[in-house]
Amino acid sequence: MPKRGFWGFSSPVVVGVLFVVLVLFLVSLLSGALGSSLFGDLGLPSWLSVPQPHPELPAGVVFHLLGFPITNSIIAAWLSIIVLVGISYAVTRRLKLIPTRVQSMLESALGWLLNFCQDVAGKENGRRFFPVVATIFLFVITNAWLSLIPGFGSILITNAEGEVVELFRGANTDINLPLALALISFIFVEYWGIRSFGGLRYLRKFVNVGQFFRSIGQLVRGRLRAGISGLFTGIVDIFVGILEALSELVRIISFTFRLFGNMTGGEILLLMILFLVPFILAIPFYGLELLIGFVQALIFGGLTLVFATIAVTHHETETA
Amino acid sequence: MSRWVAALRLVGVGFFVGGSILLGVVAGLWLDNKLNSAPIWVIVGLFLGLVIAFYGVYRMLLPFMGNKRDKENS
Repeated sequence: MPKRGFWGFSSPVVVGVLFVVLVLFLVSLLSGALGSSLFGDLGLPSWLSVPQPHPELPAGVVFHLLGFPITNSIIAAWLSIIVLVGISYAVTRRLKLIPTRVQSMLESALGWLLNFCQDVAGKENGRRFFPVVATIFLFVITNAWLSLIPGFGSILITNAEGEVVELFRGANTDINLPLALALISFIFVEYWGIRSFGGLRYLRKFVNVGQFFRSIGQLVRGRLRAGISGLFTGIVDIFVGILEALSELVRIISFTFRLFGNMTGGEILLLMILFLVPFILAIPFYGLELLIGFVQALIFGGLTLVFATIAVTHHETETA
Repeated sequence: MSRWVAALRLVGVGFFVGGSILLGVVAGLWLDNKLNSAPIWVIVGLFLGLVIAFYGVYRMLLPFMGNKRDKENS
């Protein structure tokens, strides 16, 4: 039987939907900032247009708790935690052998994550790194996707200082949260490295003075040629160790700015698109932001995993 | 090496370069401010950042350049 219409809908429905979309798009094009700058003011009702956004990088302070400023991004992060805990509680309270739809969805998601960990880090290490990597992944992705819920950033309240601030703001768009996550990832990577090799052997990766002192010994004993060439290698070793330590610090910065930049950029992009063309055009960008939220979460978790794998693999034999 | 590891390692390269140069320059600016010695430390920091960037990229790309070199080194 030949298929009628598109995607299982009959042709009149498809044509009707496309017509509505087209009309909405034209109206939004005319009423947005783009249209009014191209065609002048057409006298359309003002509720059709969106005011120009003024994105601010520091998060707004909602209230103070024991002297600490509680910002809207912290509240959003708490909300993600509540959502994650709530979902896990609701699903695991009554685990069934034949899973319900939600349970099987979460099971397959976690199974995929565990597979991913074991793919990258090997079976044993993958299981060991899984809790931290999965937590980072789930937290980042929940933060990103929660802030995409329509109306998330539009609840305004007045704080004690009389400023009007948003109650929620995407937690990833406040640089303190990516920084905190990057520090957590850094600390765990170092911890695993130290646990695998013992403190002194792990530190040798960064403070590599063995060759240097050995060749000084050779020089003292009068073996001049071997001593001098060894001394040179020793100095290079020390320098490489310093570079290794510094690149460990750079990782924190690159982790932080990657997440912060991508999320903040995405938020501002959505706001600006909505300002230029209010209705239809923002939808593809919404899809893009959903994808970016997933990819950033995967990158944050995955890079933690890769660096942890490198840290527990021996320096010289590392081929992964 | 699985495809995942390859992809993740390559993803890390770009921001690593940016991050190391940024770290060097910011540290240099801070030192210059402290010691009132502009622009010596900014330049030193910039060069150090560039060296870290090149070294880090080299280390990250080493596994992709064929394992022959790796085996010789070890």
